[in-house]
Amino acid sequence: MSSRLMPGVLDNRRFLVFALLVPVLAFFVVFNTIPTLWLLGLSFHKFSLISGMPPEFFGLRNFEDIYYNKNGIWGDLGRTFLFVGVGVTVQTVLGVLLGFLFWGSKDMPGRRIALTLLFTPMVLTPVATGTFFRFIYDPTFGVLNALLTGGLGMGVVDFLGNPKIAYWAVLAVDCWMWTPFMTLMTLAALGSVPKAELEAAEIDRLSWPKRISLVIWHHGKFILMLGILLRTIDAFKTLDLIIPMTKGGPGQTTRLVAVELNKQSFESFNMGWSSAYSVLLLLISIAMTSIFIYILNRRRRAR
Amino acid sequence: MSHRLRTWTYYGVLWLVSLLFFSPVAWIILSSFKTRNDILATPPKLVFTPTLDNYIDLFTRNTSFLLQLGNSILLSVSAVVIAVFVSFLAAFCFSRFKPKGTDFLMFLLLSIRMLPGPAVILPVFLMYVAFGWKDNHLALILFYAMFSIPFSVWILKGFLDGVSTRFDETGRVNGGSWFHVIFKVVLPQVKPGLIAAFIFNLIFVWNEFLFNFIIGGVTTQNIPYALAVGAYSDGGLNWTFISALTSIYIVPPVLFIYFFQKYLLVGMTFGTVRGEV
Repeated sequence: MSSRLMPGVLDNRRFLVFALLVPVLAFFVVFNTIPTLWLLGLSFHKFSLISGMPPEFFGLRNFEDIYYNKNGIWGDLGRTFLFVGVGVTVQTVLGVLLGFLFWGSKDMPGRRIALTLLFTPMVLTPVATGTFFRFIYDPTFGVLNALLTGGLGMGVVDFLGNPKIAYWAVLAVDCWMWTPFMTLMTLAALGSVPKAELEAAEIDRLSWPKRISLVIWHHGKFILMLGILLRTIDAFKTLDLIIPMTKGGPGQTTRLVAVELNKQSFESFNMGWSSAYSVLLLLISIAMTSIFIYILNRRRRAR
Repeated sequence: MSHRLRTWTYYGVLWLVSLLFFSPVAWIILSSFKTRNDILATPPKLVFTPTLDNYIDLFTRNTSFLLQLGNSILLSVSAVVIAVFVSFLAAFCFSRFKPKGTDFLMFLLLSIRMLPGPAVILPVFLMYVAFGWKDNHLALILFYAMFSIPFSVWILKGFLDGVSTRFDETGRVNGGSWFHVIFKVVLPQVKPGLIAAFIFNLIFVWNEFLFNFIIGGVTTQNIPYALAVGAYSDGGLNWTFISALTSIYIVPPVLFIYFFQKYLLVGMTFGTVRGEV
């Protein structure tokens, strides 16, 4: 394209490209690149804000500590992967079912209000959600226990205090928040199926399993995969929800990676170790981003 | 007749599902109209005499509430306005000129949003402490703006790619400056993208607690911060305050998804999926 323009404009254009990018780049260098390099450097140092000592070069000791399970992080990683695995599966299955249920509702009276109610959980403030679920889960005056004892005749359950149940109680809230998101993605995936093909399937009297596998899956799979991936990444980061509900307790039963990192860095001020841990998480998140972009590109090519 | 019955049953089921998902929120809103005794009654009361005392208390007795609400509004609006503006420029550049390293930069932008919050804020915290930027509105706004940029660039680039370059060329050939082309010709055509980027970053910053807690402080505290540190607890949690506070705080996001429902999909997937539900 540049050959059609005058040489003078070419310089001008290079300047323009630069000028357009500078604000964003400046933001990034100051608030991201420099801090990330700092983080990388710090991960090779022993540095605690409490001791008041300057960072001391530590080699790979922080990484060795992580490998040898200091602060029980392999347990956290296991819990987090379970949280992601179970949570995302439940949300996907329920969300897809609800998506199919809502598919034919274009003419429903008050559809917009109904969808707003359905989608409310995912735009709520996680901290507020966590706080008020503590209220709902409360063993003495919580409404859920009143329903269980009064309605079903069961005993009182201390949802967030019982180490066996707390994890699942937190996971249930996460599912409540994010199932609507998978419904949204399913609706989008179903919306991307051309009407003509659906009508053709209708005329051919294709059975429903075949309709789904031959017509709908072909068009909808990428959107659904993006949805699952986004949920996976987000569930991996879960923090805001857990802090007001259990702070990682009772014991360590609801301690996910972000919760422990938060505690180590901003309660124990154990900066060197936390930096090394962050570097590890950075690698995981880069891997996840790569998968996301890979699927995005495949979708583009498929079109 | 049976067809109509079936349709109505179907709609009934859909409404029931929606209401079921909303019910925990409804319970909190209901609780905010209860007196202290009614809120802690066992078994919980469904029928009670509603009172507005909790809301009146919130605005009159608790002085920090107005500060926190003001901070929430100030931080989210200003950070997002800055972010959307600079992101629009960058997205225009990525979309039109495709400078070397565009893909890499887009990747880098996205990976920031994929990292757990404490890992993002840890080095920034050290930097802010070293420079004395902690508990400062401007410093916090700039950080929030940085964090809103990836989202906005991704959304806006998607929309800009959909605007034909013919508009630019026509504008240029007719003697328009680049400034004219960018702001007068292209900008109006990506208004939906701007709205989506604006709304969804706004909701994010509005709901954000960790960054505010770590690199903010007492003067910049927003409402999630107050909820998380238990600013409304005296001994036990003060449920009358919390229910009223939460009920007010969730109004803007809920209104947004009602009025901007067609941007919901674009917003929640940072522009990678288009369409309406």
